[in-house]
Amino acid sequence: MKYLARKFGMLIFTLFVSMSINFFLPRLMPGDPAKALMDRMEGVEAEKLESVRAAFGLDTKDSLPVQYGKYLLNTVKGDLGISLSRFPMPVSSVLASALPWTIGLMGLCTIIGFSIGTLLGIWAAWKRQTKLASFTVGFFTFIRSFPYFWLGLFLIYIFSFKLKVFPLGGAFSVDQTRGSAGWWLSVVQHGILPAFTITLSSIGAWLLMMRNNMINVLAEEFITLAIAKGLPMQRIRLMYAARNAILPSVTGFAMSFGFIVGGGLITEMVFAYPGMGYMLYQAVNAKDYPLMQAIFLIIAASVLVANFLADIAIMLLDPRVRDGAK
Amino acid sequence: MHADAILELRNLKAGYATNAGFVRAVDDVSLTLHRGEFLGIAGESGCGKSTLAYSIMRLLRDNARIESGSIIFDGTDITSLDEKAMNEYRWTRMAMVFQSAMNALNPVLSVEEQLVDAVLAHKQVTRADAKKTAMEMLELVDINAERIASYPHQLSGGMRQRVMIAMALLLKPDLLIMDEPTTALDVVVQRSILQKIEELRHIFGFSVIFITHDLSLLVEISDSLAIMYAGKICEYGPSREVYASPDHPYTKGLMNAFPTLTGPISRMGGIEGQAPSLLSPPPGCRFAPRCNVAIDACTKEVPLLQVTSPGRLCACRLCGGNHE
Amino acid sequence: MIRDFFKTLIKNKKSLSGLVLLGFFILVALFAPLLAPYPPKTDRVEHTTLLEENKGDPEVLSEETEGQNREKSVYTVTITQKYEKTTEYFPTRAKPSKDHILGTNHAGNDLFSQIIMGTRVSLFVGLATGLFVTFISLSLALLSGYLGGILDDVISFVTNVFLVIPGLPLMIVIGTYVPMHGVLPIILILSLTSWPYPTRLLRSQVLTLKNRDFVRASKMIGERTSFLIFREILPNMISIVMSEFFTVSLSAILGEATLEFIGVGNITVVSWGTILYWAQANGAILMGAWWWFLPPGLLIALTGTAFVLINFGIDEISNPRLRKR
Repeated sequence: MKYLARKFGMLIFTLFVSMSINFFLPRLMPGDPAKALMDRMEGVEAEKLESVRAAFGLDTKDSLPVQYGKYLLNTVKGDLGISLSRFPMPVSSVLASALPWTIGLMGLCTIIGFSIGTLLGIWAAWKRQTKLASFTVGFFTFIRSFPYFWLGLFLIYIFSFKLKVFPLGGAFSVDQTRGSAGWWLSVVQHGILPAFTITLSSIGAWLLMMRNNMINVLAEEFITLAIAKGLPMQRIRLMYAARNAILPSVTGFAMSFGFIVGGGLITEMVFAYPGMGYMLYQAVNAKDYPLMQAIFLIIAASVLVANFLADIAIMLLDPRVRDGAK
Repeated sequence: MHADAILELRNLKAGYATNAGFVRAVDDVSLTLHRGEFLGIAGESGCGKSTLAYSIMRLLRDNARIESGSIIFDGTDITSLDEKAMNEYRWTRMAMVFQSAMNALNPVLSVEEQLVDAVLAHKQVTRADAKKTAMEMLELVDINAERIASYPHQLSGGMRQRVMIAMALLLKPDLLIMDEPTTALDVVVQRSILQKIEELRHIFGFSVIFITHDLSLLVEISDSLAIMYAGKICEYGPSREVYASPDHPYTKGLMNAFPTLTGPISRMGGIEGQAPSLLSPPPGCRFAPRCNVAIDACTKEVPLLQVTSPGRLCACRLCGGNHE
Repeated sequence: MIRDFFKTLIKNKKSLSGLVLLGFFILVALFAPLLAPYPPKTDRVEHTTLLEENKGDPEVLSEETEGQNREKSVYTVTITQKYEKTTEYFPTRAKPSKDHILGTNHAGNDLFSQIIMGTRVSLFVGLATGLFVTFISLSLALLSGYLGGILDDVISFVTNVFLVIPGLPLMIVIGTYVPMHGVLPIILILSLTSWPYPTRLLRSQVLTLKNRDFVRASKMIGERTSFLIFREILPNMISIVMSEFFTVSLSAILGEATLEFIGVGNITVVSWGTILYWAQANGAILMGAWWWFLPPGLLIALTGTAFVLINFGIDEISNPRLRKR
């Protein structure tokens, strides 16, 4: 339980750091982006200016520490300011419309990518002398060298433009009534290509990680003992090799998941998929700073929470971690 | 094949491929092990004794393999068996205790899992029965049966090694191979483990191949002794005889490497120099470069393992017999 | 020591092919102006031909005698030249043709030339970021791993915190605020988000080496710290440091392309990423202009593959378990 408390402490602290980055970033930037924005917005309604000022801390006579304190308090309460591009909508309600799409898409892709990648990794390590395994590893390594967004562009070109099997972008068909069977079907239709992009490019990361872990574990003495015991190959492969090899994969989740979420965001941008990524894209182009920062915060928070969940998983999977022996 | 032989090695050659070439770690080894016999194999690290042990269990993996020769276990040459047939022998007929129980036990499975799966892999019994067998065996090696729920890291080094022994004896094998089973343990624990093995051997009557670099361990408990040097057996005979009057200069050197209780503390430094590379062993006698009684001829002719007196073999010009 | 390392790299088939591929890209980058048929940002070719030249009669301005054998005169001659200048504007959004083997973009720039010149920026940003991050993280790793103590606690803690904060969104947010002049800001932004992972990896390697017998022995006999670090620890870290360098360079090239693609970055620079940005902004896909958006992506992937291949080789060299039979 000490382990869990430590990890939870780390979660809270990293959340706090993310929030602080968010607060200080605009205030530290050279060239005073706030002023530049204000200049650009001359003649705009006073209310809108107000919210820009709020975002940059220009509206108050409070000292920096007081502003910081207020910001932290507001953020924790869920008050993320007012969106500039969708004025006067509060950022939180703008986000609420985008979040389900991202969670649906990324959640599904992460699970599928992790499962396929890990299974392929186990297989590729076990059969590493075969041509097919080398080819698979090579293929996914090559795929991984492509930028996510380009892979998306390529798939759109092939499947949407040339073959016309999938729509060019968006998340659903506007002709259908929301919630109807036809609408759901269109959601699936729109989701397949972006999901395929994310999954395809994330498989490589899991596969390579699992393969290398497996190869290392397969050289361990406990595998030799398992063979000496005459255990069925299936049991050796799963309970002895994979069971141990997956531990670093789960630990390595921190690194990979951040990457995949990043890639997912970009994929959304390419497919105009109305989730957090596409919204970030719009916010960036419209210089909607409060929205942009809130999106960063939400993404950071979800990655951090996912990592915390991975820590819990590791605790359940590894008795040594449970006992604090490792 | 001798009537009471459980294991016979004939001209066994085994080793592993490296970038620089094939390292023949076991070079033309022939041995016979009788039922109930305790055979000690001693030699410096890297002499091929572990490769020998792994060959018998057919555990050589990746770049390692058996090159030629035969391993006849209870009348069957197991070198030609496929993996499925080999699994009929593993653990039921022959089992092995590894050097480091810490590394040989799966860190994420409980002792129970690891004992029970060995039973279930070979016997048609229920999980509960398998667990019962496992608990009985743990008690036999002086571990409280309740510890069966423990994970390897929760046990002390000595306990882990006892778990390994219990695991090896679960299916009452005919042959137990022990590869430096006590090296990682302190002297007191070492002693108690050796006593335990002796005790169990009297209960179950299995044969033992005990591999060690520490000749002193074998003196009291082994029936016969084989000394290995650079992939070859250089001396073989009944333990007490070999110990009392070693023939081969290497054996003598090894004996000097540990103090006797009664004798004077003369030389304890062991043997000067290092074992030769098995990639390109020296011509003639492989021990010649380090041997203080070697003559010119030793570096040219390979000495064969010859009978020197009944039951005793030696591969050295100096212990009589013919040469190649 | 480094030379030995490269010798072993060349012996490995994978890393050799990676090095050859990388070498090819470096050559293209170096000789880009020679290889590109047109300047990357031009939309026209101008031809000027002289049609006629008329030389008028000399008109003497002054004459004077200088001594006995010397005379000096000053005169002017009027020459009229008649030129014909043809300006051929490149077609915009053109398909590949003899003149433009990868077509042209919306502004009529030759895409092939842009790709060639873009190699420079992409490779430079990648390698510069790789170098910078490797230097920073190696320094941090040595400081924290070797010296230990409170400094180690602080560095490790900060590393672990930044390790889990997702890099790409952070880069996008910072990139939106920072004014982009040249490529330096993007190198800094990429570096800012990619130092934690190599730092953690290198630190644990330093810790392992620090506890090796040969280092302990040297320490015991009183060797200076600088000797221990530069002669005993660093030489044993070459392969892991190099592997990190290539990994960071790869992710920097991908990161740069990504940032530029979404318009965070200097879109006036010609790089693989900005070519893709303009392709997307001008609906290259809907035009079916595969020649516009396919090549930059393929080249990014090929460069990436070069780095990955080199790293495969390094892995196989330093981890015998990964070697095949």
